[in-house]
Amino acid sequence: MLAVIRPDSWNLPLFVHVLGAMILFGGTATVAIVGFAGRTRSEHAELLARVSLKTFLFLVVPGWIAMRIGAGWIADKEFPKDTPGWVDVGFIVSEPGALLLIALGILAWVSARRHGVGRAAVAVPVLAGIYVVALGIAWWAMSAKPG
Amino acid sequence: MNKYDWLLFLHITGAFLLVGGGVVAAALNVAALRRDRPSEILLLFGLTRIAVAAIIAGSLLAFVFGLWLVSEVGYGYGDGWIVGAIVLLILGNAIGGYAGSRDARTAKLAEQLVAQGDAPSAELQARVRDPITLACNYGSGLILVALLALMIWKPGA
Repeated sequence: MLAVIRPDSWNLPLFVHVLGAMILFGGTATVAIVGFAGRTRSEHAELLARVSLKTFLFLVVPGWIAMRIGAGWIADKEFPKDTPGWVDVGFIVSEPGALLLIALGILAWVSARRHGVGRAAVAVPVLAGIYVVALGIAWWAMSAKPG
Repeated sequence: MNKYDWLLFLHITGAFLLVGGGVVAAALNVAALRRDRPSEILLLFGLTRIAVAAIIAGSLLAFVFGLWLVSEVGYGYGDGWIVGAIVLLILGNAIGGYAGSRDARTAKLAEQLVAQGDAPSAELQARVRDPITLACNYGSGLILVALLALMIWKPGA
């Protein structure tokens, strides 16, 4: 019962965090879907590589920023001193995960420059898929709050 | 993990699939707006089916486990914010579904044009950029954002 009661001042940071995470999830899933489609539809590989790059720039990056700002904002309010383990899971996915996203962005750019063919085009959907799984682990930790 | 944790996890999983699916659909829809060749429009509309599956699965999960949470936590099914959330969920799906049926007709036209040589068509362009379909697609997205806000603020709870 206590889990559903929270001060009103936590609502806006939580909204920013969750909306950002949802945009990040949808954007990363789009990069994965479009990237895997490009592997089997070689005649449209160039178009799909450009869609991947634009999705990364206009959805994944803003989604990550909103998710991370919201996360820091609400963590400061809810846990001003020590954060519990389930919050740390979220930070592990968001911060080291950002390195994976930077690699994803560089590879998406290389893939678009090479018309959707080559190793970068193969790596983009794989990395995006890995990040989608990591986001799933984070939302399990955020909602189930293990420990 | 206790029962409440599991119910909340499954409810939130549904919410992520619902809104995430909407984001995927919007990204593919915007990409299709900028294309001329029917085969490209058909491909992008075809990929949207994955998003539609996520939206349907997410809506069902969020709805079923949301109602279960209401009784588990002790809220009332007649509470204003819960009734409002159910209305928004149904409205968002109805408007999005209507736009989806119009997009399906556009995809059929694109399929015919591909079979006829894949030349750009003014009729296909007009259908892809149809203002009613676009308003319904983006309107249903805004309803989902309002639904998320309602779930977080829970006015009157």
